[in-house]
Amino acid sequence: MPIRETFWNIPHWAEIAQYVLALLTALVFIYGVGHRVLRWRKGLPEKRSGHFWARIWSLVTQVLAQRRTLDEAYPGLMHFTIFWGMLVLAIGTALATVDWDVTNLFFGFQFLTGWVYILFELTLDVLGLLVVVGLGMAIYRRYVTRPARLQKFPTLENVSYAARDDAYVLLMLAFITLSGYLTEGLRIAVTQPDWAAWSPVGSAISAAFLALGDPANQTLHLIVWAIHILSAFVILASLPFTKLFHIFSTPLNIYFRSLEPAGALQAPRSEGGVKEWKQFTWKQLLDFEACTRCGRCQDVCPAYASGHEFSPRDVMIKLEMHLWEKPNGRALHGDVVSAAELWSCTTCRACSQVCPAFIDHVGSFVDMRRYLVVEGTVDNQLQKALANLGRYGNSFGQSERMRAKWTQGLQPAIKDARKEPVEYLWFVGDYASYNQTLIDVTRKTAQVFQRAGLNFGILYDAERNSGNDVRRVGEEGLYEMLAEKNLQALSRCKYETIVTTDPHTYNTLKNEYAWNGNRPRILHYTELLDELISSGQLKFSKKLDARVTYHDPCYLGRYNGVYDAPRRILHAAGCELVEVPRHGDRAFCCGAGGGRIWMEEKPGRERPSEMRVREAVALDGVTTFVVACPKDVTMFRDAVKTTGSESRIQVKDLIELVYEAM
Amino acid sequence: MMNIVVLAKLVPDLVEELTIDASGAALDLTFARWIINELFDDHAIEQGILLKERSGGTVTVIAPDLEGADDVLFTAAAKGADRLIKVRSDFSAANNHAVARAFSAIIKGFQPDLILTGVQAHNDLDGSAGPLLAESLGLPYVGYVSGVALADGKFMVKKEYPGGLIAEMEVTLPAVFGIQAAEQPPRYVAVSKVRQAMKTSSIEEMDASDLDLSGAPEIERMFQPEAAAHAEMLEGTPEEVSAKLVALFKELGVL
Repeated sequence: MPIRETFWNIPHWAEIAQYVLALLTALVFIYGVGHRVLRWRKGLPEKRSGHFWARIWSLVTQVLAQRRTLDEAYPGLMHFTIFWGMLVLAIGTALATVDWDVTNLFFGFQFLTGWVYILFELTLDVLGLLVVVGLGMAIYRRYVTRPARLQKFPTLENVSYAARDDAYVLLMLAFITLSGYLTEGLRIAVTQPDWAAWSPVGSAISAAFLALGDPANQTLHLIVWAIHILSAFVILASLPFTKLFHIFSTPLNIYFRSLEPAGALQAPRSEGGVKEWKQFTWKQLLDFEACTRCGRCQDVCPAYASGHEFSPRDVMIKLEMHLWEKPNGRALHGDVVSAAELWSCTTCRACSQVCPAFIDHVGSFVDMRRYLVVEGTVDNQLQKALANLGRYGNSFGQSERMRAKWTQGLQPAIKDARKEPVEYLWFVGDYASYNQTLIDVTRKTAQVFQRAGLNFGILYDAERNSGNDVRRVGEEGLYEMLAEKNLQALSRCKYETIVTTDPHTYNTLKNEYAWNGNRPRILHYTELLDELISSGQLKFSKKLDARVTYHDPCYLGRYNGVYDAPRRILHAAGCELVEVPRHGDRAFCCGAGGGRIWMEEKPGRERPSEMRVREAVALDGVTTFVVACPKDVTMFRDAVKTTGSESRIQVKDLIELVYEAM
Repeated sequence: MMNIVVLAKLVPDLVEELTIDASGAALDLTFARWIINELFDDHAIEQGILLKERSGGTVTVIAPDLEGADDVLFTAAAKGADRLIKVRSDFSAANNHAVARAFSAIIKGFQPDLILTGVQAHNDLDGSAGPLLAESLGLPYVGYVSGVALADGKFMVKKEYPGGLIAEMEVTLPAVFGIQAAEQPPRYVAVSKVRQAMKTSSIEEMDASDLDLSGAPEIERMFQPEAAAHAEMLEGTPEEVSAKLVALFKELGVL
């Protein structure tokens, strides 16, 4: 009967030695894991419990099924094969240990016998092959095709520990797998069991040995076995000290990920922002440790793409290295992460959206920005904007009394929601109110609302900047002040639904304002129009017959998942939508978010908005670039000019198309 | 320990539309928003704080009791000012002569080593406040200062002259300086720090004696800029233009 010949050809002393080694390995492993866990616990507290089943489900989909990892075919498949191969091999080894050291030792029976054993052999033999394929793909990719995102890791005293770690892990995995196959092959070559055919790879290797020479070379088997066992223990013992630790840290990070809306930034946990790493929360520290340096974040980062010295990947790597530095006087700010890096981020959240480890990059960046703001390390333009926001409630430095100047001459006049009840309270926002080039669009928005017969009003000069981007700059105090003023003004009005022009406003009103359980319905204007169209309240009189593309604003799409409403409106208005390659949750940021629009522009290769316009211009027959965010209108109209694309494409707010089609 | 006093002038915010009042000789300040004189007095505060950070001492910021004064004072405290004083009187219609006299009486009591103020403000209709204050205190005055330093017991200031000329001079203290620019732009103070300052520091209120408006020129009429005659463009080759220009100068009697 087929049975696992555990410790075949292994002398008793070697068997004993193996158990001693196993014990040592376990001790080193436990020490290493403890070391890591204790480091996380140096962080500040943060509550991440609750939603147990949702969290378990994350583990099923993202760890076992590797959903995000598989978003990219080559690296996805590569990782999937290694992951499942190694997992099954590990389970197999565990079963064999139980079979031999538990059931056999204590109860005198083995379960890896008969057809169970055959199945066991076949599975392990084939899945090992999967690991070999995956590792081959990984080695080929890292050292032959060499994608940019796997190169140029940050160093410490000119040593790229990351590159060493990557090489070590690949080498060890390859070694362990190949030596395992060799051991198996040699064993089969000597024992030649009847069921050898169920181990196709082992049989093939055995055949090769037989063809090569002495079929009974038991010494060679013993040596290869020893190497295999030794390398297995070395990799296990070193696991908590290498990137392989992500086997634990990444699933943990996925388990503990935030289940709050993506657009709800955490208030500062340490007063004055994060000055040193211990002021990050344990979860943020876990973020840094869960990073596998896959570089997907860097690939989608608009700041990186435009040539700024910034990559979310690098910041994560540097923070992780910093956690483990002995006290050497290197400061988090300045030595590890520069202010220029932190100010480069547009908070577009493309990085977190693709991160297979579910790292919240933006949250940590903002926490560090908070420290810069309290220290006054802001550039002149940003300082001016913040001072204006503090004094006038808008970044334009114009009087709040001029906020509703754009309404002048509109007939009928727009209701003052402070004076009479309205159904829809329209939160217009700074750009739509003050920016001269946008006033036309804002007036058309009002006219569309009027023609649709909406009962709506605005706050006039009681409205303030919503604070979404003030908060992301790191000026929490100013954010609170603006939010308080808006909430106070809103509390005095009677309305049912808030509708916003700006996705940034929409985000903070919906996800961050302290409504104390009385949050009203909050809609972006695209959601409202979509509702009005489907209910028949808003009707189009003509079909536009335009070939257009649509840019998903970060704070509408990625942050709040509104992808379909704008597309349905375009369809209803008779537009033919041609998607830009990067659309939906992969949309490429215009570069204005997170307060970037207020900051001095650093010279770079090309602005994100310009790259975006080129992407749109390359689409066949598309002449209109549709946006649904006031900042996008200014950013992209500018980019159309600077790229000389005026004759090819024009930027329009979605509302302009609706207006035309009515 | 240097005792530094900064006189922070508040001015009507030009962001708001300016209107002339019924008398026709003054601004209508009913709806004015009073803010720190950002171009200069904000620099005077910054310079005072920089000096304190570098050479030690205390910074007292003193401001007229106008709407917005608390904000100015608490912001200064958040930057590092030690003492905040608000001087009570009806300053909205006061001229710089009156302001200087009122403040000098109070400042004298502090026995300062150094008095800093902005070199000018857009509402200086009767001359800037610095020299008037110095006159009233009987102290020397240096205006257009863009840097101050205490070195080896000597007090050095940098004074800017038109045409990019800069003089460095040694000044015997006490003295009054009109600050043109601080050595670095006024820093940003986070709102949280201002709120903190509101909790931890307090504003002392002092009464000014009756305002004495005398000494200032009397304003007969104040008006919005009026469109004057159009500019005449001289056209032609450089030679022709210069010939026309010479003729024009002769005609006007300047040549």
